[in-house]
Amino acid sequence: MLVFLARRFAFFVLALVVSSVLIFSLIRIAGGNVAAVMLGKGASPQAIDELMAELGLDRPLPVQYFDWVAGMLRGDLGTSFRTGEPVTDLLVDRLPVSVPLALAGLALALLVAVPVGTYAATKAGTPTGAFVATLSQVGIAIPVFWAGVLLSLFFGVKLGWLPTGGWTPWTVSVTGAIRSLVLPMVALGMVMAATLTRYTRTAVLDVMNEDYVRTARASGMTKRAALFRVGVRNASLPLVTVVGLLAAELIGGTVIIEEVFSLPGLARMILSAVSAREVIVVQSTVMVIVAFVLVVNLVVDILYGVLDPRVRVTR
Amino acid sequence: MRRHWMLRGGLAAALSAALLVTAACGGDGGDSSGTAARKDKLVLIAQQDPGTLDYVKNNLTALILWLPGNVVEPLIKLDQDGRPQPGIAESWEISEDQKTYTFTIRDARFSNGAPVTANDVVYSLKTMQNSPIATYKAPYEAVESIEATGDRTVTVRLSRPSQSFFRGMGGMSGLIQPEAEAGTIATKPIGTGPYVLDQYVTDSKLTFSANPNYWGEQPSIKEVEVRIIPDGTAALNALRAGEADGWPVITIDMWERLTTQGFDKDFKLITYPQVGEMLYVTFNTTKAPYNNPALRRALAKAFDRQQFIDAFNAPWGAKATCGYGLSNTSWYSEESPETCPMPFDTNAAAAELKAAGYNGEPLEFTSLSDVPDLSLPADLLIAQLQGVGAKIERNALELARYSQLIFQGRPPQFGITVMSDPAPITQFACPDPSKMGWTTYCSQEMTDLMNRADAATSTEEYDALMKQASDVLKRDAVIVPLLAKSGVGLLNPKLQGWQEPRILVDIQFANLHW
Repeated sequence: MLVFLARRFAFFVLALVVSSVLIFSLIRIAGGNVAAVMLGKGASPQAIDELMAELGLDRPLPVQYFDWVAGMLRGDLGTSFRTGEPVTDLLVDRLPVSVPLALAGLALALLVAVPVGTYAATKAGTPTGAFVATLSQVGIAIPVFWAGVLLSLFFGVKLGWLPTGGWTPWTVSVTGAIRSLVLPMVALGMVMAATLTRYTRTAVLDVMNEDYVRTARASGMTKRAALFRVGVRNASLPLVTVVGLLAAELIGGTVIIEEVFSLPGLARMILSAVSAREVIVVQSTVMVIVAFVLVVNLVVDILYGVLDPRVRVTR
Repeated sequence: MRRHWMLRGGLAAALSAALLVTAACGGDGGDSSGTAARKDKLVLIAQQDPGTLDYVKNNLTALILWLPGNVVEPLIKLDQDGRPQPGIAESWEISEDQKTYTFTIRDARFSNGAPVTANDVVYSLKTMQNSPIATYKAPYEAVESIEATGDRTVTVRLSRPSQSFFRGMGGMSGLIQPEAEAGTIATKPIGTGPYVLDQYVTDSKLTFSANPNYWGEQPSIKEVEVRIIPDGTAALNALRAGEADGWPVITIDMWERLTTQGFDKDFKLITYPQVGEMLYVTFNTTKAPYNNPALRRALAKAFDRQQFIDAFNAPWGAKATCGYGLSNTSWYSEESPETCPMPFDTNAAAAELKAAGYNGEPLEFTSLSDVPDLSLPADLLIAQLQGVGAKIERNALELARYSQLIFQGRPPQFGITVMSDPAPITQFACPDPSKMGWTTYCSQEMTDLMNRADAATSTEEYDALMKQASDVLKRDAVIVPLLAKSGVGLLNPKLQGWQEPRILVDIQFANLHW
């Protein structure tokens, strides 16, 4: 087990280093510079150069890279060039939007996907099962943008039940914050539920034919009891992996939903920073997300090892 | 067991439904539904987030819309007809030779309660004099010194008369801030305006409240929220749902929907032609073959302005023009055979293209891909150019790359591009040919005209010389103006007091009331 953990941790550190180099390089390969964007078309090249020097962006790239990494290791994520605010503060401001949105969307998706996917698996080969499978396929095809716009139109404009967009901070009103998140959460959850339903159905179908399920049936359990008490637990292993990856991606990957509903989340902040070539904001924020994804993966890997002893022996 | 699972499933479903119903029926707790019912509050929509509020180093329209006139004020104010009125300077004296300006600063306070001093004014003017934005520092070209010559007196001495200096004091170049609070300008600029900026949440909103220390009349509307909604559909939905009271600056790609979806019936459609934007094509005169005036004139004849107006299906929003200047300038002219040296004529364009020596080489057309106001016109322009036999290579860039290659490139890296701005003709000035930029046109004739205009001793002389400079640009097809786009917006019909911006593209809240 110790060797397993050490190996996983070593991969984790290596992945972090490689990610940092990639993130640092990619934003610079894109071309353009924040000074030119900030100062606009009326600025002289001299003014651009002066601002670049003021921002420390005229230093050699290795110097900039190590300076940035050293800062991150000290907990200093840098400062926004445009506003002078610490990136940490910017992140902290955005997390109360993105994290609840992502987790609530995922929770809704699971609430729908697990029972529906399991049901679809038990009805495989029947018209009902085919209908559910088709429905989930249609759900996968629906663009999240379209779902968001329709929900906004119906519940926001037509019925007036919920805001069409915008954000009310938790500190101002908890009810207002929840209202701001309902439609985005449903749009996100609907689309994810379709994908997770497919995964669940496949995973449950796989375990339904396993020996241990047949043994459970032979011991006197009903088909349903065998499925839920023995089968689903085993089917949850691949689902845990998928959900773990989805949760991590969602934190920074909800840009379309944030645009449609005008939510000041992490994804929009990154998009805006990329457009403005705010390299420090992009680097540090993306690195934090990457680190989070890698930690989640690490935890999932370790969980696998705990849940399934074969994993930590063979890997 | 079955009942257990049913119970759990049922509880989960009931909880979700309860959450939805509670949320739907919950109070608005801070959001802005039904703001028309609150007579002292206003919610407006903005599509662009400024990213920063540092107006010294940033000339984004998204910033200029909300700060000048509401939060920070200039030294003098220019009224609807462009005539100077007292602002922070309650009076001024101009020497006979027009080289010395003495401003008397009014007894006023900034929104943080600190008194406005001559030192604050000196600091502000010197800050703008050193601004990296060329159009902000341009009015100070002839300025030799800026000094506090009394507790409330500031004297500015010029090396020569300069029309642009005094005009500049009524615009961005003349904005006054407290020296002690300059460090927070990027997130919380402070000024003497009728409103205080309470909060700026990037990608979300700007909130303002009435400035209790304002030297003038207190505004009727006490709270204003500018909600940043980047998606046009979401913005229209917010208007329809009553979550916003107005959207004062609507981009051209949305104009058609204002009429086809009935917004012009349910809301007050406002257009303000005096301060809008000029849509124009410009050529890179630093490189071949675009440095050939005959080729430029030939290509200019390929542009069908009416097709643009038809494409945007909003004839009230733009006028075809071939003169570089908006209708608040004396050199503005609508398109007509009399005023346009290169009228639309595809046959003539094709023939003159050949006569100019065009041999079918690819012409690079660079456009902004992430600005619908410019990517849509680019689609039309390319088709029009191809229609007269020009071979076009399209290069679509996003803003950062476009800025790097075109705005900042020395030499600029493009052949033909389409741009829009409030038509500052001074951007074509060429004080140093070795530093030619993407718009500078280094013709001696043009440079002389602009220098003489700035040194003019009367407004009439200034206007006449600027018109001649504009005619040079037109004649030489350095730029080919296409449309004078109006400012277009929607307002709640109950909102009164809307005043068209005439000089700066600023939306002033103080005049508005329910």
